Amino acid sequence: MTSLASHRARPRSGALIQGLTLAWRSLVPLRNEPGRLVQLLLQPIFMIMLFVCLFGVMTGNQTGTAQFLLPGVLVQVALVATNTTGMNLAEDIGNGVFDRFRSLPIARSAPLIGRILADTLTMLLTVTASLLTGFVVGFRVRTSLAETFAGVTLVLLFTFALSWASAWIGLKARSVASMQGMATAVLLPLTFGSTAFIPATNVPGWLRWWMDVNPVSHLAASLRALLTGGPLGAHLWITLAWAIAIAAVFFPLAVHSYTRRIR
Amino acid sequence: MTYAIEAEGLIKRYGDKAALDGVNLTARPGEVLAVLGPNGAGKTTAVRILATLVSPDGGSARVGGHDVVARPRRVRELIGLTGQYASVDENLTGTQNLMMIGRLLGMSRADARARAVGLLDRFRLTEAGDRAARTYSGGMRRRLDLAVSMVADPRIIFMDEPTTGLDPRARTELWDIVREQVAGGSTVLLTTQYLEEADQLADRIVVIDHGRVAADGTPDQLKSRAGHRRLEIRPERDLRKAHDILTQVTGVTPHVTRGQATHRPATAEATNRPSKDAMSRPAGGTAAAEERAEGATERTADERTADERSGAMPGRAYGPVEDGVLSVPIIDPAMVPEVFRRLEDAGITLTEHALRRPSLDEAFLALVTTPSPELSTAPRLSTGTGGTASASRQAPPPSSEPPAPRPTVSSRQPQSSGRSMA
Repeated sequence: MTSLASHRARPRSGALIQGLTLAWRSLVPLRNEPGRLVQLLLQPIFMIMLFVCLFGVMTGNQTGTAQFLLPGVLVQVALVATNTTGMNLAEDIGNGVFDRFRSLPIARSAPLIGRILADTLTMLLTVTASLLTGFVVGFRVRTSLAETFAGVTLVLLFTFALSWASAWIGLKARSVASMQGMATAVLLPLTFGSTAFIPATNVPGWLRWWMDVNPVSHLAASLRALLTGGPLGAHLWITLAWAIAIAAVFFPLAVHSYTRRIR
Repeated sequence: MTYAIEAEGLIKRYGDKAALDGVNLTARPGEVLAVLGPNGAGKTTAVRILATLVSPDGGSARVGGHDVVARPRRVRELIGLTGQYASVDENLTGTQNLMMIGRLLGMSRADARARAVGLLDRFRLTEAGDRAARTYSGGMRRRLDLAVSMVADPRIIFMDEPTTGLDPRARTELWDIVREQVAGGSTVLLTTQYLEEADQLADRIVVIDHGRVAADGTPDQLKSRAGHRRLEIRPERDLRKAHDILTQVTGVTPHVTRGQATHRPATAEATNRPSKDAMSRPAGGTAAAEERAEGATERTADERTADERSGAMPGRAYGPVEDGVLSVPIIDPAMVPEVFRRLEDAGITLTEHALRRPSLDEAFLALVTTPSPELSTAPRLSTGTGGTASASRQAPPPSSEPPAPRPTVSSRQPQSSGRSMA
């Protein structure tokens, strides 16, 4: 038996190295094909241009609109970007790449770790691109570097938590298309039914109730406070609590369907 | 260790449908085992169990001596898997695909690169090495998939329909690669729908149908087991009368084909431009004919359905169709002159007649049922091999390819079955 096994390189790397290799695998297409990178960055750039400039023209107050809207649009863009986790998982499962990984003597968790690592990095890219575009259209950070950093970290934490939900849906979904459909059904009410785009004044009672409960409202409000100053209040803690709650629910669910998939 | 691959009574259910219903198979070290069967027969499920991708609901399997359920990790260290759908990452280049696997297996960056370069060269992909796999042709992609599965130089290789969808040339190239790998001492289990492929590559063939082993043996054994010669006649007219005479003499209901006679030489393969149709198309049916020859003249539901599907005429409603070919298996050679004598007595002249050996297609298809779902619930005849026999008796369409002379099985190099794996 030993002579048989010696033909194969013995895996000496752990789950983390394997995860890093698989994260590299997810990121390298961005380098292979610059078009993909452009596509990744165009989404935040367009969304921010569209929202900030359109509403700026409508209100006649470009700077004020940018200051209010940018954190909201950034949150929206980031949340939509969590889709990629589930979509890529669904794609890997659908086209057999996943099976290849499973037939290798590697840590069972490596493909999932690699996926989330890569998506966290692209999320950082998305958030950075959003802030830079914001700067171009007149948004200015009014707070300290530490607060800015905290704001970006909060977005990353929240989307990290949400990407487990995305991963769970992706693992459950029968196809990439159905994954997209399900994710949109969840994300639309979350993002647009929040204070990300409009203040919770002058809205009907039921919507106001939903906006108050909606974690995205708290995330947007936190980011707004951390980037432009103003009262942070309880928003930060509520957002963090939501992030933990979402992760607490969907991390086990995702891991469960993942382990069922990889058995 | 006697067997490199060993499965006993594998059962796998999806819902209430049994994908595998007690499959046994074995492959000795250095041997090529072909698992042959139509779509949906359970071939892929068997491979997935052996490659530790799914666990069986019953039975057991050992690969390289390790139980696939109890010690999957050990099994994974020994195997290479090539999927039915090339499971390379299409967004990576060929080199990147190979390097990724090398790195995952714990090679250093330099080792992984060297291995990638070597494999690209061996699989004639060097020039395409820096292109995204998405841009590859079907044959190139399949070769890359195979290369990826060989990064670890596995001793046991599973290939799930490695040539499905490839053109004849790409298929031949892939065969050469498989032979090369086997010459290096690897054990290969490949699934295929193509009889020719199994015959070309395999030391032994397991025919799976409806989740069960329908037959098992060397290509030669299977061919000899399945074959009666068939008599085909095309009466000038009086098809009905000729039909009755054939029935009376042989005790078998002849199969009727309208239009052109199926005068294919026994060496012609309908598989040269393979399609799933070639497999699902009922043909031969000699095993079923044997059953009937033993006194079972009553036609089963299977047969009737098959006839209705294929457009063949049921005996009870003959109709005025006058042009057609009648075909019956010949169990006793003395029947042939008897048939001709009786036809002559009845004043029936024949425009064509032929006595031919079963083609390879028919030989194997005789061992499996048609995979159509509407037939799967119908009662099936059981053969001595424990499998099921199809009563479908329409000959496959004549091959559009010229009948190339096929090398006989015995002319191949004997496999290095003596190589010890222990």
